[in-house]
Amino acid sequence: MLEQQLINGLTLGMIYALIAVGYTMVYGVIQLINFAHGEIFMLAAFLAVTFITVFGLPLYVVIVLTMACCALIGVLLDIFAYRPLRQSPRLAALITAIGMSIFLQNLAMIIWGSRPRPFVQDALPSFLRTTAFSIGNANVSWMQLSIFVLASTLMLVLFFIINKTRVGTAMRALSQNRTGAALMGINVNRVISFTFALGSSMGAVAGIMVAIYYNTLYPTMGYVAGVKAFAAAVLGGIGSVPGAMIGGIVLGIAEALGAGYISSLYRDGIAYAVMIAVIIFRPSGILGKSTVEKV
Amino acid sequence: MSGKNWFKAVTAFLLVLFLSSPSMAQTIRIAVASPFTGALAAYGDNVRAGVTLKVEEINAQGGINGQQIQVEWMDEQCEPREAATVSSRIAQNRNIVGVVGHLCSSAHLAALPTYLRQGVPVISPTATSVAISDQSKDRNGNTWAFRVVYRDDYQGEFLARYVNEVLELQNIAVFYENNDYGIGLKDAFVNKARELGLNIVGQEAYIKGASDFNPQLTRLRGSNPDGLFISGYYPEGALIAGQADNLGMKVAKFGADGFDNADYISLAGSSAENTYLTVPFLPDVAEGEAEAFLQNFRERFDREVDWMSANAYDAAGILLQAIAEAGADRAKIREYLASMNSPEKGYHGIAGLTYFNEKGDSLKPAFVKKVQDGQFVAAPIQLD
Repeated sequence: MLEQQLINGLTLGMIYALIAVGYTMVYGVIQLINFAHGEIFMLAAFLAVTFITVFGLPLYVVIVLTMACCALIGVLLDIFAYRPLRQSPRLAALITAIGMSIFLQNLAMIIWGSRPRPFVQDALPSFLRTTAFSIGNANVSWMQLSIFVLASTLMLVLFFIINKTRVGTAMRALSQNRTGAALMGINVNRVISFTFALGSSMGAVAGIMVAIYYNTLYPTMGYVAGVKAFAAAVLGGIGSVPGAMIGGIVLGIAEALGAGYISSLYRDGIAYAVMIAVIIFRPSGILGKSTVEKV
Repeated sequence: MSGKNWFKAVTAFLLVLFLSSPSMAQTIRIAVASPFTGALAAYGDNVRAGVTLKVEEINAQGGINGQQIQVEWMDEQCEPREAATVSSRIAQNRNIVGVVGHLCSSAHLAALPTYLRQGVPVISPTATSVAISDQSKDRNGNTWAFRVVYRDDYQGEFLARYVNEVLELQNIAVFYENNDYGIGLKDAFVNKARELGLNIVGQEAYIKGASDFNPQLTRLRGSNPDGLFISGYYPEGALIAGQADNLGMKVAKFGADGFDNADYISLAGSSAENTYLTVPFLPDVAEGEAEAFLQNFRERFDREVDWMSANAYDAAGILLQAIAEAGADRAKIREYLASMNSPEKGYHGIAGLTYFNEKGDSLKPAFVKKVQDGQFVAAPIQLD
């Protein structure tokens, strides 16, 4: 049973991690908790289903197309909701983020209705639900395996972009000192837009995978996923990309073990308890740098 | 306020009185309190369909004593807070003589104190909570609240009997939603199942809106159940059924009326096969005028009838019969409803015979449906 719980938790954790990197990157660059990020995750699931049912596209094309659409939505979100408030107090942007979250949720409800709906089964390869291999008593399905592989690949790509490319260097520079970076000739707004696009496309993949994994999507699905991913980002040290990945996986496994061995009613409680414990004993998170807050 | 404004206000007030009084003579008003917007709007829509059909029938026949029936749709979104507001609005509007509602037990419980205090007769088509039974009487011992649906404890015990006698399962795992409905149903089931000698191998709870049930199912799988009782609603139920399948659990799944929605099958896909559920109304075994009702319903709303619509149709029928027999007066309607206390004095509706005990509960049978080839069908064996 332990092996199975670990696999369950790892699957969940991979998904949290993919959403959490979006939170953490945006925070790293402009110190904003983008609470509408969970809604981008939800929109991705609905867009993917719409692309399949309306245009009949194959799944891999749909994933790429949805990533592109969500990247665009992320950029638009920044341009219209956050950019005008760039010089305002942080609280203003935070409240706007919550407002955008509610707005996008209701927009989805108007467009797609409030009832939960299944993913399009015909678009999926049939082997996804079957067992890929077993470890002891535990079964790993092809679906779970795909989530591991896809999420790990995306995170490696993300790692490469941040550490090895010019725009990644610019992102890191911005997160250290925005004014300094601007003085060095970095186009600040363009880099911020790129950050939103990158985070949103990662969240989009998570949204599609969740919709397929659970075979259900609904307009409020972004809320809980968003809060959990935010917790994962804080757990890993907000602003740190590898921290968000580790935080997501730790949170997923803690939840699965907590629900499996202690009580399923406390699963969310356990997840948050882990987060609170980390914040108390290591305020900057697992991989975060401890800095003195300048208030 | 200047003298002129006073004059305007008084004129407007008199105008309203003047305009509203003639309509009072021409129509009889009843209220229907249910969720018409929000997450449970689809359920409210079912109730609206049932009441609409009944009221249209009566009005087409000339109404009651020459007076047409007018329905006030009161939206409470299934929220106890909203239900409390709606119930006082109904109670204060003296033109409204009776209420069909509320849909959710929690909303019904929140509205009841107002109805009892102000003396408004109310019939719920769908609220199954056990707690309602003890809150249906005012201080003088008069029953004001009635319902045309069975209680959760009856349904839970019935399921235990069905699982034992018909499905012949041995080891049951229980998954319940952590709210009034899920817990009440689960407790009744578990007590009866133990009494019948069934083995409850595990009980797990979940919270509404949860989507990952793998950890709990993995734990339940370890105890090798042959039956999985899901005490909750269809969105989570479909996820549980699907995830149990993915984990390789070969179990019969069963639930109650919270599962009765075609979306359960579309969400759970092939995992929905062999799910059994109890419902208060089953078109295949309905008697009497049911055939005509089913036909009318299909023509009017262009979909298949559901149990909520059938019960709402009967609830409206009972209220309107009371108005026709006793007159459009709240207290007289109450007296009439309370006197429907034996099978002889009962109401023959499309969902069977309805009569009330002194707590306003009706004794209705439960029927069993199962999922077969992607559709709900009547289970081959029904229990009495």
